[in-house]
Amino acid sequence: MLTKINVGPIHPSTHGVLRLVVTLDGDTIVNVEPHIGFLHRGVEKLAENRMYMQNESYMEKIDYAAPMAYSDLYVAALEEAMGIQTKERAKYVRLILLEFQRIASHLLWLGTFCNDLGQMFTMFMWTMKDRDLILNLLQDVTGSRMFYVNMRLGGVSIDLPPNFEEHAKKLLDYLEKRLKEYEVYLEKNPIFIERTKNVGTLKRNDAIELGVTGPVLRASGVNFDVRRDYSYYVYDKLHFIPQVQTRGDVFARYRVRMLEMRESIKLIRDALKSMPEGDALGMPVKLISPPVKESEVKVRRELPRGEGMIFMVADKQRPYRLSIRAPAFINLSSLRQIAIGERYADLFAILGSLDLVMADVDR
Amino acid sequence: MKIEKDNLLDKLREARKGGFDYLVKITAVDYLDHLEVIYFLRNMSNKKEENIRVEIKNGDALPSIVEIYKAADFYERELSEMFGIEILGRKINRLLLEKWDGIDAPLRKSFVWGSAYKSD
Repeated sequence: MLTKINVGPIHPSTHGVLRLVVTLDGDTIVNVEPHIGFLHRGVEKLAENRMYMQNESYMEKIDYAAPMAYSDLYVAALEEAMGIQTKERAKYVRLILLEFQRIASHLLWLGTFCNDLGQMFTMFMWTMKDRDLILNLLQDVTGSRMFYVNMRLGGVSIDLPPNFEEHAKKLLDYLEKRLKEYEVYLEKNPIFIERTKNVGTLKRNDAIELGVTGPVLRASGVNFDVRRDYSYYVYDKLHFIPQVQTRGDVFARYRVRMLEMRESIKLIRDALKSMPEGDALGMPVKLISPPVKESEVKVRRELPRGEGMIFMVADKQRPYRLSIRAPAFINLSSLRQIAIGERYADLFAILGSLDLVMADVDR
Repeated sequence: MKIEKDNLLDKLREARKGGFDYLVKITAVDYLDHLEVIYFLRNMSNKKEENIRVEIKNGDALPSIVEIYKAADFYERELSEMFGIEILGRKINRLLLEKWDGIDAPLRKSFVWGSAYKSD
């Protein structure tokens, strides 16, 4: 006999407002139907009604776990539409800040993921503490902890402070040490292994078929990373290797994110070493926008949750149409395929491993 | 690449056979007198990209492409909800987001931002 269970929209493991209607046969999942839209704000419509630079602060609210990544995506789209070159030093500054943002986002994920596995709040407090140190550093640079709005056309709003390099290096050493500790705590823990290995397996072909992105795609053995394949800023000049796992289960997704944090640490160190002197400041915010050269632009960026894309049809002062490809949206759509045939208790391990931010799903 | 509405399924099947195995996004743009629906495809082995564009008139329906690209499921539902484009041949027709009274196709230019707000 089949049982229907309603999960959410308010539920500690859904990271926001997600409703799932789960059909069970005994303890085995037969079907999962995600109901989304509780956090829909119509970002794409709002963007059509605001001036170009007014939108930047709004773009950050799409993904509150990694706001800077989204403002970078949006500003990159504007730069392409207006034919503005990013300054050489600004490329490095952006890269460093974005990689810090990626580590912060992955740390937040690690804590909440361990909560989902029933390891309540120990890991969460540790990772939140580490994330806080990154936020402190970003606050030193931008003046804000949560929503930075520091990307400007052609550069950034404020250059790195004089003591940044020293602080950043100290923080990176600390984070590296902590990540090693976390790996030992988790990977030598039989319960963690039991709950993640061979759970929620997504095969390589299915991953491509379902269009999943980011760490979820790379955990299934697809060697694809926007940072390498459609390289932007100076990723091609630095030694950057996309992290790929082949098993495709929850553990592989965990592993990809852990390795990605290490890779980000390496990237930041590399970038700090080779960063040129000079000017990184972008154009000041003006509501009257510079002339638009390209009427249609498409920009991709590797956000912490996966590949983000903006397709913009530009108008004189406002976007005529701003279409956003949100990585969490498409990762959620793969949930049904991954969860069918799994145990009900594993549903939250799978859901956690997709790293959903509901604001990103609903837009 | 601009194609006719009737050739859509054939062209997408052809692209799929030609190695474009990854659907990046489906989106639409409202140009007042017509709508343009764009399918962003990618070849995952050589990272080439292809855009397939279909021009449709207001009120025209489009065939579902879920059988060719499974990833299209959410995008098609978003499309029909945000632009009011009917998608034919879908198994699940439930709306993706929740429906509000008095608003349909909010991303069409005919829907004026803020017009659905009623004060008590």
